Amino acid sequence: MNVIEIEKLTKNYGKSRGIIDVNLTIEQGEVFGFIGPNGAGKSTTIRTLLGLIHPTSGSAKIFGKSCFDSPEVRREVGYLPSEVFYYDNMRVIDLLKYSASFYKKDCTKRINELAEIMDLDLNKKIDDLSFGNKKKVGIVQGLLHEPKLIILDEPTSGLDPLMQQKFFDLIAGENKKGATVFFSSHILGEVQKMCSRVALIKDGRIIKLEKMSSLQENSYKRIKLETKSAMYKDAFNIDGISKLELKGNSADFIYKGNINSIIRRIGEFELANLTIDEPDLEEIFMHYYAKED
Amino acid sequence: MNMYLHELKSLGKSTLIWACSILAIAVIYFSLYPGIVKDAADFKSLLSGYPAEIRAMLGISLDNITTILGYYSMIFSFVAICGAIQATNYGLSTLSKEARERTADFLLVKPVSRASIVTSKLLAALTMLLATNVLYFIGAFVTANLVKTSDYNVKLFFLVSLTLLFLQLIFFALGAFISVFFKKLKSVLPISLGVVFGLYILGAVLVTGEDDVARFISPFQYFNIGYILNNAGYESTYMITGALIVAVTIAASYIIYVKKDIHAVN
Repeated sequence: MNVIEIEKLTKNYGKSRGIIDVNLTIEQGEVFGFIGPNGAGKSTTIRTLLGLIHPTSGSAKIFGKSCFDSPEVRREVGYLPSEVFYYDNMRVIDLLKYSASFYKKDCTKRINELAEIMDLDLNKKIDDLSFGNKKKVGIVQGLLHEPKLIILDEPTSGLDPLMQQKFFDLIAGENKKGATVFFSSHILGEVQKMCSRVALIKDGRIIKLEKMSSLQENSYKRIKLETKSAMYKDAFNIDGISKLELKGNSADFIYKGNINSIIRRIGEFELANLTIDEPDLEEIFMHYYAKED
Repeated sequence: MNMYLHELKSLGKSTLIWACSILAIAVIYFSLYPGIVKDAADFKSLLSGYPAEIRAMLGISLDNITTILGYYSMIFSFVAICGAIQATNYGLSTLSKEARERTADFLLVKPVSRASIVTSKLLAALTMLLATNVLYFIGAFVTANLVKTSDYNVKLFFLVSLTLLFLQLIFFALGAFISVFFKKLKSVLPISLGVVFGLYILGAVLVTGEDDVARFISPFQYFNIGYILNNAGYESTYMITGALIVAVTIAASYIIYVKKDIHAVN
């Protein structure tokens, strides 16, 4: 069964671009990654799906229904926005109970479980919480009714690495229990860890839709290094290197290929410094564009 | 029901403060009443020195200013302004709250329709306006009985007081209507003060007599206290106008709110 069906979805904001002709189908039990740079249209897609934004044309359905026509389908949806804000003068537990009251089932047990996992004090006022703790409230709030579809919009901003790990474990657990996960992010690494399929969006259009496994074969690294002695000119004239910039004793490039062979080459030099990063998405997208043209 | 109770709770404190403030205006003025009755002649001559327009604007009628109902109709202009500000505030803030407090991503993804959100919010605010009126009426009625020097017509007192509710309904609906046009309404009070004083002054400046069509412009002119005292009833033309304004603005608020795009916070 398809949990999410997005067909020819287009949204214009007046003259400016929102999203154009987006098509996506997500099956039950999938962890689906949705990545793209900021402003590419990820949030617009999600907000249309959730019934917050009206589409200009096309349709976005959850469990076969549009949130505008059948708001009750959202009973099975848990949503975690990138930035969470709640009624400041409420206590955490009161907010969670208010949230639970929309789902017509007893969520008390799940609230306590989740609060314990996320290490969240239920008796504090929301106003007194730090950004990270508010985010935890958001996580508990999004999961307390054990939704069948979990929609995450840049969920990890504001969480420390330890909490991120707990959060991913939590989501993986929900997925094992049968929940479908729609995971939007601009951090490729995050998506790589969890997702089975991924869609890349840029400038409002889906430019690539593929299995995570095939994306991983194309794993890109951004490598920066500084050497103590001068490098010979053709040192990095090897396959898989692109965007090479050589300046005196430093080199900066994107590498795609067997990580061992590049490390061996780098090992030939006396290094002063070395960083290996995920390249930012823009750079990867450029590759995709280049391939398609 | 959960949304209604939530909204009700969030308005509780504010309603109590508004009701007490509005009542305080009446109580303070009523406390001067015994003294005014004692020096009735001096007070009348003082008021007759005011330009007639000012007297009309404040609802002062020289003939009966020293009776409790005449005096009440003067007080009531202040009560009405204050009540209108409260109602406009509630109208402006209730539907714009999610955008202002950035809680739209919480409430509007719950499994309820936007229309039912509007209904719950409007009903909660209306309940609180009704509570304000009940508190006000009881307080004002008790105070009037404490300071009265002779008996007065209780029904007329009630009819005058009830116009507070009518005015509040109109201003509440106007406020709700205005608020749905804003993407994000940052502060409510400047707009409500502007709307209330704007309409009040407009009414006072433009309206020259009871038959003036300019009366339609300002809801403050819909309930002429002099007319109510003389006829023990309301002017049906203006009652209907008020009801139409409420119906149209509330219906429009529903339509616009349901069609609105709710954008991400930033």
